[in-house]
Amino acid sequence: MPVFTAAIDPVTRIEGHLKVEVKVETVGGVQQVVDAFSTGTLFRGFETILEQRDPRDAPLITSRICGVCPTAHGMAAALLLDRAFGVEGDTPARTNGRLLRNLVHGACYIESAILHFYLLSLPDFVAPLPMAPWIPAWNPGRRLDSGTAAQYAEHYKAAVGARRDAHEMAAVFGGRLPHSPGYIVGGFTAVPSAEDIAAFGAHLEALIGFTGSVYVPDAERLASLFAEYGRLGKGYGALLAFGTFELDNSAQPALLFRRGRLPAGGGTALDVDTSRVAEQVRHSWYVEPGADLPPAQGTTKPQHPKAGAYSWLKAPRYEGVPYEAGPLARMTVNGDYQGGVSVMDRHVARARETLKIARAMRQWLAQLVPGQPAYTHRPVPATAQAEGLTEAPRGALGHWIEVRDGRIAKYQIITPTCWNLSPRDRNGQRGPLEQALVGTPVANIDQPIEVLRVIHSFDPCLDCATHVTRLE
Amino acid sequence: MLISRRRLLRYCLLSAGALGLGPGEGWLLRRLLANPSGPSVIWLIGSACTGCSISFLNRISDVAGEPATVTDVLADSLNVLFHPTLMGSAGETAAATLERVRDEGNFILMLEGAVPTRFGGHACVVYQRNGRAVTYQEAVQDLTARASKTLCVGTCAAFGGISAAGSNPTGAMGVGQLTGRPVISLSGCPVNPDWVVWAVVQLLLGREIELDEDRRPMALYNRDLGGGAAEPILHDKCPRNPGLHGTPVAVSFGEDGHCLENLGCRGPHTKARCDGCWNGIAGNVAGQPHAGRWCIGVNAPCHGCVEKTFPGLQSFFEPYVP
Repeated sequence: MPVFTAAIDPVTRIEGHLKVEVKVETVGGVQQVVDAFSTGTLFRGFETILEQRDPRDAPLITSRICGVCPTAHGMAAALLLDRAFGVEGDTPARTNGRLLRNLVHGACYIESAILHFYLLSLPDFVAPLPMAPWIPAWNPGRRLDSGTAAQYAEHYKAAVGARRDAHEMAAVFGGRLPHSPGYIVGGFTAVPSAEDIAAFGAHLEALIGFTGSVYVPDAERLASLFAEYGRLGKGYGALLAFGTFELDNSAQPALLFRRGRLPAGGGTALDVDTSRVAEQVRHSWYVEPGADLPPAQGTTKPQHPKAGAYSWLKAPRYEGVPYEAGPLARMTVNGDYQGGVSVMDRHVARARETLKIARAMRQWLAQLVPGQPAYTHRPVPATAQAEGLTEAPRGALGHWIEVRDGRIAKYQIITPTCWNLSPRDRNGQRGPLEQALVGTPVANIDQPIEVLRVIHSFDPCLDCATHVTRLE
Repeated sequence: MLISRRRLLRYCLLSAGALGLGPGEGWLLRRLLANPSGPSVIWLIGSACTGCSISFLNRISDVAGEPATVTDVLADSLNVLFHPTLMGSAGETAAATLERVRDEGNFILMLEGAVPTRFGGHACVVYQRNGRAVTYQEAVQDLTARASKTLCVGTCAAFGGISAAGSNPTGAMGVGQLTGRPVISLSGCPVNPDWVVWAVVQLLLGREIELDEDRRPMALYNRDLGGGAAEPILHDKCPRNPGLHGTPVAVSFGEDGHCLENLGCRGPHTKARCDGCWNGIAGNVAGQPHAGRWCIGVNAPCHGCVEKTFPGLQSFFEPYVP
């Protein structure tokens, strides 16, 4: 049988720059993907911007890694700085700071999920609107009757407004979205007023309504209409979550989504020890270091061209194993989702998670104390090392800092898309997306829309993934 | 593009003063916006975070008291033929569309992101055509030469911004610096969507846009919201200006409503109309209370993100010395 190679470049409706190359062959009478290569096509060298800066700048600089998940970076950097500066204690200021961080971050989860399902993913399944830029488009087929398709198109338009509204909600306390200036070491800049709380709450109730009565049903219906995608795109099936949304002010706070990992095959969630994480670069455009290094010591030196390399993304592995991060990982590790791992499991888990977060936000909003400042002052430490673990909407996010002489000596970031879209590692193991693509049937090799469906289910954010290398 | 002509028109008429539209020009705008064969738009993203696209989506179709759903926002859309985050097609189909629009000429080019020049431009590849990788650098050189107008959306495209900061390992630079061509720069990290709409409207009206020395529209970055000639130094019009309003100067975060100059605010050295609003109701003009939000409104210092000097090497948390 002939083998076709198809390169999709650009992969559109993602954040950032991605090329995916698939080899397609007919196996058992079905034309399908037999191999895949995921290529991040942008490199920014982001961490060098941070070096020698005031450590307090980290949330502001790192939020600029991504316009779709800026608060995730703001949160990771703020948590990391709190530890580095010794911000602690169970005080009203810390409570309001924690709640404001969670509320603005939660608003961005809602924004990101609605954006992802409707604007980025839905055109893979339903004929897009009959105008540019939705046409020309790859043919999504005629699976849906005209009434269902029209309803999805209507909901698409509603989603445009809902996602904008979510950012407007975030801006009530965050000042401006994207790139809120609110996340600072010691807490949050805003002092919530009763009017702010009411304004935020009005947005929130509307978004809970949209999520519960439109988004979740739309995702679940799509899963039933395209039931074969409940089996496709599984990949390795190993899931990783750093956890997020702190629920108290202690040093080891309870989280709305717990930290943990589930190796392939399931079982009970295991602990996460980030010293067992290492980024490999055998097939990435970087000079390979002598040994695997944990993230806090990770280093990178670009080398382009480089024989055998095909991506600006590195390949993070946990004890050498590729893990998938994202809403499905969070929900499954947390015991909130008991499905499998597939394209549609990712969509449905993301939708249900959005509703869970939005409802939790209702409680956090009620706990805010009007007029109570949300800031605890601590001086910049001369030396410190710290880790900030959280979750971006699209999965586990870690920041690592080393402070010397009161300045940033070293900063390291590992993003969820580095996990999900990584290239092969030293042992030739594919990244999770590459593995998930193998076995995907392809009807039309010139328009492999089935491949796009698998890619989009991971909600790739290449803006994040390719900004996070540190130069020596 | 997620702007309906009807919405855009309504917005423009509501904020005619802020947009610099004279009386009687509304009908002209109405005719232009009703024209489906208006200029094509290519929106290309380079070394960026997609934040300016997201910011742009945050603005239009926003009227107080309306439901969050926007039912007519997609009707009669502007003719945006290529936008990597929104478009239906992918791969070769998308690349072919871009090259067709390019070859037809007479398009408006909107560029988001700085241009990395190291590694032969391969730190940013924007598409592949007939098996050949096209870098952002190559595309920018090619497209700016053919576009009727080029808008640099955001500080990265305008000046290099965050992408070119620090040791600038990818040799990133602004579009004007790379090409030497007469671009129109709309700085901001992210850009304020209101400013993008303003610039697009000027182009649709066939107006010349008067630019400052940084190739930014004078009307957006050097005049007040009412179009007056006063320099819009943020500090000079800040509702927290101690000299004008007797506001106390904050010595620490968490002091609600105080002036933030000692906490790193770059407002005294930043010219912009951020006081117009962010994430809020379009159509705010000078003299009206803020319906929208902005950084200073949540006790966060201005970080000067519209300026060529952003982010610079100085701390954002120490008093700013230009």
